[in-house]
This record gives sequence, structure tokens and C-alpha cells, in this order.
Amino acid sequence: MKTRIKELRARYDLTQEDLAKKIGVRRETILFIEKGKYNPSLKLAYDIAKALQTTIDDLFIFEEN
Amino acid sequence: MKDIKGILLGLGIAAAVIVTLSFYLLNAGNIELDEIFPIGIVLILVASAMYILWDRIKNVKKGLPAQDERLKLTNYKACSYGFIASIWSAVGAPLLSGILFDYEMPGNYVTAAVVLCGGSTFMISYLYLAWKGN
Repeated sequence: MKTRIKELRARYDLTQEDLAKKIGVRRETILFIEKGKYNPSLKLAYDIAKALQTTIDDLFIFEEN
Repeated sequence: MKDIKGILLGLGIAAAVIVTLSFYLLNAGNIELDEIFPIGIVLILVASAMYILWDRIKNVKKGLPAQDERLKLTNYKACSYGFIASIWSAVGAPLLSGILFDYEMPGNYVTAAVVLCGGSTFMISYLYLAWKGN
């Protein structure tokens, strides 16, 4: 799974820590989601999408193997 | 507040372990070579626990949560691995000591093996999974 979190963070001039504070998770969690090493729960995906003023569909790109 | 309570509880438990170990060492007299190994494992477990607590304090100071959904999942996974290791060590430790050294392990040694194997597996899995992402 790929994400556009990094791109959208840059657009809103947010660091990983800023975004983590906004949604109430640890900075490492944002890092692992960006790297595609951790799949967030639907609730966390929704919170990230809301914080970055977008939708889950737009934020996460699912690739079928 | 819940995070701080958890951190304080962790620090209290770590302090209790260190105090207990200190009393044991002060009253043990000459320590045999085979006793140094489990003491070493206990010290490594305490050091790992202190590292985890330090990491949580660092996050709380920055205004971030001590634990989030990723770390809760990591905790559950590490707990289940530790539990499996405890069960297998309860069966495996006396069996292996009998086969390899022809020595019947006393009950307190088996208990120590269960605690140390379970604790070590939990700690290694937790640190590895937290480092890997999940």
C-alpha cells in the first residue's frame, strides 16, 4: 500500500510530529505508515485523512498483487 | 494522566526488581557461575524495560501519547509470543536438561526458566516489532 501522506504534509507544511500531535499518535507511527510498513486501522486512516483535508480513498493507494 | 500512571507503575516495578535482586546478591555470599547467567538476563530485562519507559516519557514530554494503536498491537503480539515461549519452556527445560545433561531439574529451576524465557521472548519481540513497524 502506498500513501500520499508525505506529499500532503508538505503541502500543509506539517512535520511528522505536527501531524502525530494533531491525531494523537506517536511520530514513529506516521513514519511507518508513510513507508508502508504499517497498515493503520480504519479509524486512524480516517483521522489522518481528516487532518490532511482529504479522503481515505485519495490518501491511500492500494495495489493488488 | 493514564500514561503517567502507567509509567510510574513501570518505574515502581523496575525499582522493586532491582531492590529484590540487590538483597539477594548481598545475602547470597559466593555466587556460583551458573547463577550469574539468570542474574544477567534479569538485568538485561530491567534495562530493556527502562528503555521502553524512557521512550514513553520522551513522548509524553513532547505532548504525544505514550502508547498508540500500533504499539498496543505490538504489545499484544509480543505478549502472545512470550506466553507461547513460557509454555514451551515449562515443557522443554526439564526435558532438555534430562536428555542433554542427564539431570532432573528441580521445580524452582523450571519456574525460573519459564519466567526468564517468557520475559526474554516478550522483550525481544516487543523491541523488534516496535523497530520494524509491526
